[in-house]
Amino acid sequence: MTELAAVKLPAKRKPKVSKQAASAYASPAMASVDWPLLTLLWAIVSCGIILVASSSVSIADSLFGDSLHFAKRHTVYIVLGMIGACFIAALPSQLWRRYGPLFLLLALILLTLVLVPGLGKRVNGSQRWFNLGFITVQASEVVKFCVIVFFASYLSRRQEDLLYGWKGFGISIASVVLIAALLILEPDFGSTVVITVTAMSMLFLAGVRLHQFLLLVLLGAGGLAVLATATPYRLQRLVSYLDPWADQYGGGYQLTQSLIAFGRGEWFGSGLGNSIQKLFYLPEAHTDFIFAILAEEFGLLGVLLMLGLFVAFIARILGISRRAMAADDKFAALACFGVAAMFSTQVLINVGVASGFLPTKGLTLPFVSWGGSSLIANFALIGFILRLDWELRRNALLKPKVKRMPRKKTKAVEELAA
Amino acid sequence: MNKKVTTSKRKQAPAKGKGLAIAMLAKWRFHFTVAVIALLLLALMWHLAFLQVVPGNERGYEFLQGQGNARTIRHETINAYRGLITDRNGEPLAVSSPVTSVWANPKLFKNDDGQLRAVAKALGLKQSELAAKFDRFANKEFMYLKRHLPPHKAEAVMALGVDGVYATTEYQRFYPAAEVASHLVGFVDVEGKGQEGLELAYDHWLKGEAGAKRVIKDLKGRVIKDAGLIRAALSGKDVRLSIDLRLQYMAHRELKTALKAYKAKSGSVVILDVASSEVLAMVNQPSYNPNNRSKIKAKQLRNRALTDQYEPGSTMKPLTILAALETGKFSKDTVVDTNPGYVRVPGKTFVDPVNYGEINLERILTKSSQVGIVKLALQMEPETIRDIYQRFGLGAVTGTGFPGERTGTLPNRPKWHVTEHANFSFGYGMSLTAAQLAQAYNVIANDGTFRPVSILHHQEGVESHQVADPALVKQVRKMLSTVPEKEGTGKLAQITDYPVAGKTGTVHKLGSKGYAENRYMSLFAGMAPADAPEIVAVVMINEPGTQAYSGGKVAAPVFSRVAESALRLLRVPPRVSDSSQVAMVGGMQ
Repeated sequence: MTELAAVKLPAKRKPKVSKQAASAYASPAMASVDWPLLTLLWAIVSCGIILVASSSVSIADSLFGDSLHFAKRHTVYIVLGMIGACFIAALPSQLWRRYGPLFLLLALILLTLVLVPGLGKRVNGSQRWFNLGFITVQASEVVKFCVIVFFASYLSRRQEDLLYGWKGFGISIASVVLIAALLILEPDFGSTVVITVTAMSMLFLAGVRLHQFLLLVLLGAGGLAVLATATPYRLQRLVSYLDPWADQYGGGYQLTQSLIAFGRGEWFGSGLGNSIQKLFYLPEAHTDFIFAILAEEFGLLGVLLMLGLFVAFIARILGISRRAMAADDKFAALACFGVAAMFSTQVLINVGVASGFLPTKGLTLPFVSWGGSSLIANFALIGFILRLDWELRRNALLKPKVKRMPRKKTKAVEELAA
Repeated sequence: MNKKVTTSKRKQAPAKGKGLAIAMLAKWRFHFTVAVIALLLLALMWHLAFLQVVPGNERGYEFLQGQGNARTIRHETINAYRGLITDRNGEPLAVSSPVTSVWANPKLFKNDDGQLRAVAKALGLKQSELAAKFDRFANKEFMYLKRHLPPHKAEAVMALGVDGVYATTEYQRFYPAAEVASHLVGFVDVEGKGQEGLELAYDHWLKGEAGAKRVIKDLKGRVIKDAGLIRAALSGKDVRLSIDLRLQYMAHRELKTALKAYKAKSGSVVILDVASSEVLAMVNQPSYNPNNRSKIKAKQLRNRALTDQYEPGSTMKPLTILAALETGKFSKDTVVDTNPGYVRVPGKTFVDPVNYGEINLERILTKSSQVGIVKLALQMEPETIRDIYQRFGLGAVTGTGFPGERTGTLPNRPKWHVTEHANFSFGYGMSLTAAQLAQAYNVIANDGTFRPVSILHHQEGVESHQVADPALVKQVRKMLSTVPEKEGTGKLAQITDYPVAGKTGTVHKLGSKGYAENRYMSLFAGMAPADAPEIVAVVMINEPGTQAYSGGKVAAPVFSRVAESALRLLRVPPRVSDSSQVAMVGGMQ
């Protein structure tokens, strides 16, 4: 935390709880984790395992001779992700609060290194991955985490820079533009959009002045438009999404196949395992287009249930953000808000792309799509916000007692303040 | 916490400068962002509902399902089972059995070493050959890997689970009687289409109708599931031939033996059932095995008894005699003076081997006298002879429907040269097939009733009609029964236990410059038992290579063996004769 906070907070809340009194209500160390959030996550991840298993059955059998190839690895990544989340949750948020700028640096270094031939791995014309031998790491997934930490840290510490003058705005925009530019060089258009939208929503919440923000929105939209039209393949992709049937065996192929999956689903779907589109018709059925298979096998009902799970899940994260706002913990509020915005954007774009509602492609459905880097990065974010949530609860546990208990400094509060 | 507080704090902030808490996060900004996300989500859900459940939408689920079906639902042919061909007793002559053909889509087959080796091994092919084939078909989407595999071998290939390799059920035709009945039955090609013989002639009847079903296929062309039958395959109908496989086997064996013994080029034997005029046996040499046609030659393919026409020679003499009797100017006792053993007509001299002197009509047949028949014929109009030929079915199609059957020629001349007139009386200057000859002799066996020859059993719509006076026909038949006797030209045609009636024929073959001196067609046409014929048989041996070449020497003994075996197989009771102990024993049984 900034000096400011470090100074002000203890002064503001002077919780003085006796050891006996604290134990009579609850120990701050025993503050609960957000079980509803974890339950919702567990439900989404379970759906993900089932959907990956179902949608990858044929391609796995054909490529590896093992129809559960992807499902097994998906499960392993989930376990790795959970371990990673536990690790991150074990770290005090001070670390993120204090070293925010380093994460911007880390993001820029990663995005630069991945472009270096030999270091970055090129797949399907995009240089997005680091090959670590046992696992390939997608740079942009790590960058998502970094961006949220950086902006939460920066905006909470330097809010006044944002509110007055152009400095804060300038630094924020420069960071976003730099990251977006590097992402576009890979190219990774989807991640560019997600990261830009996440950063912008955090900026917005942090109180960026509206005329600056409007300028930013216009610049961003203009930039996207230029990017989309400058390179012909992106333009073609845009055209293809508007009327995929015009070029159904070329640029529109994947989308038409995805749309057919949606159309087959109707209300209740064809039943788990009965998708036809996953039988090689729909490319990327277990990654970017997994939602189409969900729509085909479980119908609109399954689609709404899945979206409902995401809504509840994201609402829960927003709830943490709201509580942080109430507690005036700007870092936690901005971070959780950023995570919620990022998941929302990814879900909206993923589903929107699969159903022909939005252009672009190349985004996973968080916690559902197959993809190790994405899973682990998302789990890391969960570990991160769970820690923030836990700290909020712990602080809250201490705070109300201030009013009821006699004012007396405790050792625990001193530690906290320090 | 609320907006007011925020605003007021913001206003104070510049004065306070850095190091002060300047603002709490604005609630309205939070809610505004959430509202934007919620709106986008609602719009997306609306869009999804339109895709999935709202009817009547231009690009709605009906359209999408239609597009999906167009890509996944395919029609597959269900091959129909081809009908059986059997002999008159139901013995199978051509049967279909299910086999599996393995094919590949080269565009989906991953042409790597491991896959090629596995597939080649399972199919029993050479890997290099298979690789070459894949190269050749690289731009195609269909090629057979191997056709007509036994189902268990095809399963072994399919068990490899290689992409782009598929199996189809087809039917393969087997011919249990092999070369014995091959000319009649014919064969089908690898697609199951009739190519020769009755397989060709009755293809529409045998082939049935292929069915079709809807299947759902994945992008690699594998059938995921059946989506319903469009129409069931209709099995083809059976064809029952008139031949008796036992007689067919016997005739085949005898003809083959005779051809070898007389070093002849080719030959045919036709046996008819007298009452029905149905073919009991029809064999030709050379023949072929329809189950293995790899080294087949064109000359082996012909069903010569129906497709080859030739001059019948002296076998026509009984008909000329009958024509003479019909005129009323002659009777069986009419005597013809053949002195001095030859007769001169303008342009040609006809000679008998020896001078037979004054002989009656019967003797003309017994000795096959050229002089006698020519002198008789020249006392008749040529049209009279031609008329009887025509009534006996010569020069007209038999109606078997056999592919490539010939009709023979029966010329009708406005002005007959005397040589032509004379030749005509003993079967030159015309042509017929072995089947037509058997059909004509069947009229003699049948007391003047003409019934078209048939290769199907119990063929319907066949009309018989009287074409000659039964009394006169019987007279001719009695005359013919002297031919196989001791003094006759066809004594080798005799059968121990049954009287035979018949006529020999030795025909000069046509060469490039008229009739060839040393190439003959050896013929015997006859019936047995002579008193009440059960069978008619025609034996034709083409170009015997031995010293003996005449009908009496070459064809008659074959007739004897064939007719005797046929009568025994048909359980015709032997005739009791004083001279034959065996016959008595046989007759008492």
